[in-house]
Amino acid sequence: MPATRRTRSAVLATLTALLLGSAGCSSGASGEPVDAAGPPRSGGTLTWAIETEPITLNPHQYAQAKARLLVWNSFEALLTHDRDGNLVPWLATGYQVAPDGLSYTVALRTDVTFHDGEKFDAAAVKANVDQLRQPGYAPAVAAVQLRNLKDVEVVDPATVRFVLTRPDVLILDFLASPQGAQVSPRSLRTAANLKAGGTDVVGTGPFVLDGYAPGQELRYRKNPAYDWAPPTAGHTGPAHLDRITYRFLKESSVRVGALTSGQVQLVEGVPATDQPLIAGNPTLRLHRELNSGSAYSYYFNVSHPPFDDVRVRRAFRDAVDVDAVLRAVYQDTATRAWSVVSPASRFYDKRFEGSYGGNPERANALLDQAGWTGRDAAGYRTKDGRRLTVRLVQSAPFVRDRRDILAQAVQAAVRQSAGIDLAVSVVDQGTATEALNGNRYEVFDNSRADTDAGAALNLLLHSQGAINRVRSRDAELDRLLDTGQATGDPQRRTGIYADLQQRVVADQAFVLPLYAPADQVAASNRVGGVGFEPTAGVPASAYDLWIGG
Amino acid sequence: MSLLVDGTSAAPTGAPGQPGVLAAPVVAGTRRGRTTSGRRTRIRPGLVAAGGFLAVVLLAVLWPAALTDVDPLAADPFAVLRPPDGAHWFGTDHLGRDVFARVVYGARHSLAIGLAATGLAVTAGVLLGLLAGLAHRIADEALSRTFDALSAFPMLLLALLFVAVAGPGTASLIVAIGIATLPHYARVARAQTLLVRRAGYVRQAVAFGSSRFRLVLRHVLPNVVGPVPVLAVIGLGEAILVASGLSFLGMGPQPPSPEWGAMLSEARNYLRVAWWGAILPGVAVTLTVVSLTVLGRHLQRRFDGRDG
Repeated sequence: MPATRRTRSAVLATLTALLLGSAGCSSGASGEPVDAAGPPRSGGTLTWAIETEPITLNPHQYAQAKARLLVWNSFEALLTHDRDGNLVPWLATGYQVAPDGLSYTVALRTDVTFHDGEKFDAAAVKANVDQLRQPGYAPAVAAVQLRNLKDVEVVDPATVRFVLTRPDVLILDFLASPQGAQVSPRSLRTAANLKAGGTDVVGTGPFVLDGYAPGQELRYRKNPAYDWAPPTAGHTGPAHLDRITYRFLKESSVRVGALTSGQVQLVEGVPATDQPLIAGNPTLRLHRELNSGSAYSYYFNVSHPPFDDVRVRRAFRDAVDVDAVLRAVYQDTATRAWSVVSPASRFYDKRFEGSYGGNPERANALLDQAGWTGRDAAGYRTKDGRRLTVRLVQSAPFVRDRRDILAQAVQAAVRQSAGIDLAVSVVDQGTATEALNGNRYEVFDNSRADTDAGAALNLLLHSQGAINRVRSRDAELDRLLDTGQATGDPQRRTGIYADLQQRVVADQAFVLPLYAPADQVAASNRVGGVGFEPTAGVPASAYDLWIGG
Repeated sequence: MSLLVDGTSAAPTGAPGQPGVLAAPVVAGTRRGRTTSGRRTRIRPGLVAAGGFLAVVLLAVLWPAALTDVDPLAADPFAVLRPPDGAHWFGTDHLGRDVFARVVYGARHSLAIGLAATGLAVTAGVLLGLLAGLAHRIADEALSRTFDALSAFPMLLLALLFVAVAGPGTASLIVAIGIATLPHYARVARAQTLLVRRAGYVRQAVAFGSSRFRLVLRHVLPNVVGPVPVLAVIGLGEAILVASGLSFLGMGPQPPSPEWGAMLSEARNYLRVAWWGAILPGVAVTLTVVSLTVLGRHLQRRFDGRDG
């Protein structure tokens, strides 16, 4: 095939050498001293208390940033990110992009097997992508991450080519994302409930899923055959631990209590009020890291009143003193976000810092101008007899970091300073989806831990985005997102996303950015190898963990 | 007879030093003008304390501003999780709201739910019990077995089931607890009806050709409801407890409403660093329920004593 030869001869972006160069990088471990853990040691069992129970165990269906630390135990992607945000090989050995940007040729490892004995090869990669494009299987992935994908070609057992309809740099981010993780082709064919996942949906990772007790725990055991760790990992060969159990403890006080009483050796999601307690305990260690992706923000639904009026959107932002609210809820542990992009992302634009918010006089003046001049008995503003009520519907499986409490703090702030009634409800996921799809909300809260913020913004702001809860139909925004996706040069991309942030944050006031999501892991000092996934900033998988004797 | 305190009906200005006189003003405020039965003159400190506490709770329900001038919803992000001091008697919660103001205003929510639910249960329960007691055997059996079936479920579970179907909120909480506590009153009313309908005066009224409706209204009902107020006072405490429990689970008034159970729930994750946020609303619930039970038991004893 001439196309093949042309691509092969293209010398552009043969990153393999570069990738190997970064293999010396140590893992994302936070560098904290590890006293009682001693040197890495094989064997032992750990219990880790986590805040969020995954709604699915199938990585293709992944949607919760808090579940990311589970995905990489048993599944792996073709690529991953190093600490500087560069892509490095994992199940791939390298990739080449065609000069026209319309195809990516990926070379694969040949020594990898799935947990069920199936061989990992180009046909397996194609089977995974084909499955993702099945109608109704993973609509968000098919419509957004794979929207420019034309076909996947098996060149030979160790080479696979992604052919695109238009240039799309985000395809590489997809190859490094949980949704792009490789599931055994046999699982894809025979799993009892593929979308939910389970012990019959297997990958290639260092741990094998052993059992799942809904509402209680997930159990993994070591994969003794594992020998294909990415260069970002702290060691090679099989995992240190024989077994790891993740217990779902929703209540932060229960998690911290379980750690201090020695029932578990690791917890994640340590609230600010409990952090001094951990720091003051010599047998415990606290590790923190900012997440990449989009900042935790309130998105205003502009499809109907009152937020169809930009003045009301600005007024809502000015009614909240975000710094004060964050200090109240998180003491001094939260990092304020000024833009829709997380400060941990390479696309973060500093220009917006201090440019809005915390100005009750301006908020009230804007609301007066917008016609919300009346006041009812409870002190809320009214217009034509209707109260200025805006609804925030939070889905319980996605509530983390005390975001329900944060909502109450914002609720109090907008009520006191501007007479806005923010009605907050925490409901199950079905009810939340119904309200969001039925356009029965005015505020939508979200953060995404995507490694490439562009991927998150595509989902959140593009008029075709799967979670465009702003309900914006903004041609300029679509153009910026499309250009950002098609541009390979990082510097030009930064400029494009800066324009986009200008439009979203400053000109249109579509969002109220609140804070940069972060993860906190507290561990017994007998546990070694605690770290975060490079670039993503979420807790790393259990691969590098060990427990001292 | 005195419903609340034995021994005296003295005016608040009575001579100090006399136990009976001291106790009276505290309680007399709620039920003034009742004359003493004179049967017992011994003061019950527990009863006085219970009555006194309930008087304060009643004041908080009717006129909360008399107890605090702080807005229970006003959050101060710069005064979060402050321990109790002169400015904030009960400290502040995780949003910097005054816990004392929230406990005071919370009385209205908690008590209103308890009262409304108990009222609903008493009204519906007595009517259904009366119906069962007077009805044909088959209807009586059907109603009685329904009460049995409802009683077989723990009260909290039954209420939880209803709220799960009807959705959270104050109104559904009231109906839920009303339904869950209804069999209690219905059974008593039915038993009383069976007793009364065989009584001589009823037979006599029948013999005199009294109409069925008049018979029930004039002769049966008044004698059936006798023990119900006593039960209702004890039941009220129980209803408040269940209401707080359901609110704790997020089934009741939604934030930022200050409801005792909901406050407990919100504060539980801060228990380690700020005990006052959870303990003090908890104490309010406990004292209210204990006071109502003390009062109810006392009324029960008096009622039984009169009857027996």
